[in-house]
Amino acid sequence: MTAVDLAQNTLDGLMVGASYALLAVGFTLIFGVMRRLNLAYGPTIMAGVYLGTAAFISLGAPTLVVLVVVIIGAALVGLYVERLCFRPFGEGARAASMVASFALWMQLEEAATHLLPQHMNPFPPLLATQPLEIGPLLLRADHLVMLAATLLIAGAVTYLLARTKLGLAIRAVIDQPRAAAIVGIHVERVMMLTFVLASAIGGVAGFLIAATDGQVTHMIGMWATTKGLVAMMLGGLGSVKGAIAGGLLLGILEAHAQWFLGPQVRDMVAWGLLFVLLAFWPGGLMGAKALDRTMAVGRRV
Amino acid sequence: MLDIQDIVTAYGKIEALKGVSLAAAEGRITCLLGPNGAGKTTLMYSIAGVLKPRRGTIKLAGADITGQSPASIVARGLALVPENRLVFPQMSVAENLEAGAYQRRDSAEVAADIERMYARFPRLKERHTQLAGTLSGGEQQMLAVARALMSRPRILLMDEPSLGLAPLIVEEIFRIVGELNKDGVTIFLVEQNVHMALKVAHHFYLMEQGRVTFSGEPGKLAEDEVIQRAYLGTSRKTG
Repeated sequence: MTAVDLAQNTLDGLMVGASYALLAVGFTLIFGVMRRLNLAYGPTIMAGVYLGTAAFISLGAPTLVVLVVVIIGAALVGLYVERLCFRPFGEGARAASMVASFALWMQLEEAATHLLPQHMNPFPPLLATQPLEIGPLLLRADHLVMLAATLLIAGAVTYLLARTKLGLAIRAVIDQPRAAAIVGIHVERVMMLTFVLASAIGGVAGFLIAATDGQVTHMIGMWATTKGLVAMMLGGLGSVKGAIAGGLLLGILEAHAQWFLGPQVRDMVAWGLLFVLLAFWPGGLMGAKALDRTMAVGRRV
Repeated sequence: MLDIQDIVTAYGKIEALKGVSLAAAEGRITCLLGPNGAGKTTLMYSIAGVLKPRRGTIKLAGADITGQSPASIVARGLALVPENRLVFPQMSVAENLEAGAYQRRDSAEVAADIERMYARFPRLKERHTQLAGTLSGGEQQMLAVARALMSRPRILLMDEPSLGLAPLIVEEIFRIVGELNKDGVTIFLVEQNVHMALKVAHHFYLMEQGRVTFSGEPGKLAEDEVIQRAYLGTSRKTG
C-alpha cells in the first residue's frame, strides 16, 4: 500500500462516484416529492440509454444526438412510470407504488431485450483520448467530463430549488404536501414535473456511464437502481447535498475495496454499507431530520 | 360569501358529514363549534377542495366551487389556516410567506405584502430567516395566518387557531381575528375555545356527529349549554 495507490484509488473512486451522485440526485428528488420508492428508476434510465444506443447502432447518430435521445427517452419513460405507478395511488399506498414500479422494471427489461436482443451493445464513447498524467497519477478525460457534468447539474438543481418559483413549489411539496395544496400549488403537476426532471437527470448519468464504458447491457437498469439507492441512503433521503456526498463516498469506498480486497468484493461493499446504514444509522449522513420528518408524516397520515 | 348546502363527505363508507348546510355572511365572523369528531375539520377540508364531497354544493360568492381543486379555490379568494398550522417546517419564515403568495404574479406587490405581514406580526419579522419548524407554537400560528393572508383572500377559513396555545397567545390570535375582520376579511372559524369564539363571532353554528344542530347569534344559547354541547355533544351516551 503506497500513498500513490491511495491517491489513485481515491481519484478513480471520485470519478465513478460522480455518476453515483448524479443517480442519487434524481432518486432523492423522486423520493422527496413522492415519499415512495421508485424501483423502476434504474430501468427508466436503461430504457433511455437503450433508445440512444439503438439510434447509434441503426442510424449512426452522433454522440450529441445520442445524448439528446437518452435524456428525452428517460424523461418520457419516467412520465410513463409516474402515470402508471405513482399518480393512481395515494401516499397511503406506498407498497402499491413500489410493487407497481417493480412490475414496470420487468416490463422495461423485456422491452429492452426486444429492441436490442444481443446482451452487449456498443455505445458511442465520450472522449477517446489518452489518460492525462498528473505527476504519478492517471486521470481519464471522460471521467473528468463526468465529474464536471455532475457538479454542473448539481449546481443547476440547487439553483432551481433555492431560487425559482418551481423550486419553491417542489420544496413545499417535499416539506408539507397538504399545506402545499392549501396554498394553491398544483401538487400533482409539481410531482409529475419533478419525476420527469429526475428521470432526465438519471438519463444524463446513464449516458455518461455507458459512454465511459463504451458499451451497455440491460443490467445497467438494476445497477443504476441499486447504486443510486445506496448513494441516496448514504447521504440521507431527500437532500441534494447528501446525495452528492453519498455518491462520491460510495465511489471512493468501492475503489479502495476493489484495490485492496479484489474486484469481487466491490459490489459487496455497497450492500454491506446499505445494511450497516439501515441497521445503525438510518438517517444517513445529512438526512437524519429528513427521515424523521418522513416517518413523522407517515405516522400522521 | 360562503354558502354550503347539504354537504356529505365520507371516508370510505363512513360519512363524516351527513348533510351539512350553513353560510358565512360577507364581512362577518362566523364560528363553528362542536366536539372532537363532529366533522369540523372534514368540513374545512371539503370547502378548501382538499377533500371531495360526495354530495351537496359549496358556493363562494355565488359561484359553485364544489369538487374544484384547492388551487382554483385559492384563486377564487378563499384561504385556509389549517388545523395544526401545517407550516413548511424546513423553509424559512420568508419562504413560507412567499409560498402563500404562490398563485400571484405581481411580485412587487407580494414583497410589499410580506412587509405588511411583518408590520402586523413583528415576531415574524424578527425571525424571517429562521426555519418555520423551529418557531414556537404561537409563532407558527401567526405564520400560518400570515401565509394564508398572502393570497389576499376574500374569506379566511381558520381551523382551531387556538389549539395547544397558551392563554395569552390565544388572546393575541383572537385580537388579530377581530382586526382582520375590521379590515374587511370575512372569517369562518372553527373553534374549541367556546368562550373566546362567542366573544368575537357574529353568528355561530353548533355541529355534532356530522350534522349542524344549532344556528344563531351569541347570546341565543346560554354559554354553558354551548360549552356542554360543543365539548360533549348532546347525544353522547353516559354510563
